[in-house]
Amino acid sequence: MTGRTLKYARSIPLALGLALAPQFGSAELAKLDDGALSDVSGQGGIYLSGDVSINELGGPIRNGYFGGCEEVGKKCGARVAYRLKEDGGWFVLDDIRGSFAFEGLTLKVREINDGFAGDGQLFNREVVELGLPNVVRYNDVQFKLAGSSTARPTDPGFQQTDIFSIEMQGDVTLEGNLLVFPTGNP
Amino acid sequence: MHRHGETTTTLHQSPFLKAGIIALCVAAGPAAKAELQGLTETELSEIDGAGIGLVLEDFKFAHGTDVQNGRVFKIGGIKSSQGEDVEIVVNKLYISGSGSNYGQTLGSVNLGRLVNPFTIDVVDGNDIGVQDKAVLSIAAPTKVAATEGYNCMGGGGAGSGVCSSRPSTATFVGERPDIGLQMNVTVGSNQSSNLNIHAQSAVIDGSYLRLWGDNDRRQLVGQFKLNFYTPELSINACEQDGTNCGSRIRMSDFALELALGNEFQPMFLDVDGSGNFVAEIQAIQKPAPGTIGADGLRSSSDPATWDFYNDYYTNPEYRSNLTIGNFSVGNRDFGSARVEGMLIQHLKIQTKDLAP
Repeated sequence: MTGRTLKYARSIPLALGLALAPQFGSAELAKLDDGALSDVSGQGGIYLSGDVSINELGGPIRNGYFGGCEEVGKKCGARVAYRLKEDGGWFVLDDIRGSFAFEGLTLKVREINDGFAGDGQLFNREVVELGLPNVVRYNDVQFKLAGSSTARPTDPGFQQTDIFSIEMQGDVTLEGNLLVFPTGNP
Repeated sequence: MHRHGETTTTLHQSPFLKAGIIALCVAAGPAAKAELQGLTETELSEIDGAGIGLVLEDFKFAHGTDVQNGRVFKIGGIKSSQGEDVEIVVNKLYISGSGSNYGQTLGSVNLGRLVNPFTIDVVDGNDIGVQDKAVLSIAAPTKVAATEGYNCMGGGGAGSGVCSSRPSTATFVGERPDIGLQMNVTVGSNQSSNLNIHAQSAVIDGSYLRLWGDNDRRQLVGQFKLNFYTPELSINACEQDGTNCGSRIRMSDFALELALGNEFQPMFLDVDGSGNFVAEIQAIQKPAPGTIGADGLRSSSDPATWDFYNDYYTNPEYRSNLTIGNFSVGNRDFGSARVEGMLIQHLKIQTKDLAP
């Protein structure tokens, strides 16, 4: 690890130390030298498993009063509307529903100084590595792309034209690592 | 420092908040009289932070429809001109390493290079011809000098072309993916047809999407450049279950360089009142009367105006090209095709709802 990332990795324990200091009134802050600093290490990385459900069934209750997703006039999916022009219509991602689950998304800092058919040696820096989970399990994931006259379906004068919709279900293969780093000359 | 210590006793659970307060205390002392001042557009456009570089290493993506195993991938909501529902069942969509044999054997591939990655950045508009604007840029690896790049169609080592992404070798997966889409298209109650599109060892170097805001029209504007090179783009149709395929239509050495919008004629994006999507490229303004001489030469014209139009007509960046090295169906060759130097003067695309 180079000094730059050490600085980030250590900022949290350092700040905690500062925060606790007043409770030990007589203690003095002493600088850590480079040798001592190099013995401190942050967590090696994070391993994530997830199960995310977005409006999959429209919530826990389905009855005559609260209704169900299939009823006309009821909306279950999430909606993201973006206006491209002042006083213009709205570009919409609509009816976003479904759940997806993954096992083994990893996040860590990695130093690259070889490999990549020679690029690694030239690069010689650190990157944030997001390890993709190999398989993402989709369950009834769907969304629509649409253009709409108003931001919400309940606004007066609402008119919407769906451009197309996507529906996905089952295992999606997603392998590899996403490497993220600043460009330019930091 | 004692003052800061007192503050921290109540905040020790939140190092971030604490750090913020310390920073505020420190800043507040010596600079108590300073006021925050707005930056002008010109000053803002001088700001150039580092962007984000993205590289996908050993990447593989595949999804499709396999009803028996619970996999479904459908695109719907499209209507034919007769108002019938069009349903597209995606049997397979893949991004794989090259040599996948039309998606039969998926391998891994790198996308982007560490020394020339995909980037997301806010760039100074003055550097790219968009005056005094901050421009959001999403870009593929850039093209490089022909002395160090690789042939965009593959074949040849360093110094053989202007593409940065490298083809695969025996020891390296390369940065050029095989991309394919196999789908069944059903129109209304008609029997569906099976359509397959595959691109081998594809390169999109030099492509970008740039977005910014237009003050006068108060609207999102953009500039889109798509470069797509592949040594073989093929299309074929099969029976519904994917077997018994017809002749493969092959386009070898396929190169598409599409330029939608430029700094003088950006592409305006909008949704109209009835919910239809509109993309428009405005016509370039005509020169003021008398600024271009009757003989069209620079000597008889206003030099600045003449230079402007000369650049507009000659700059290859503004033009779209499509070249196909060889077009063949089955074992019949139809030779090469070229459409070069298309300059979009005016364009307006509007989606229309055909539903009754």
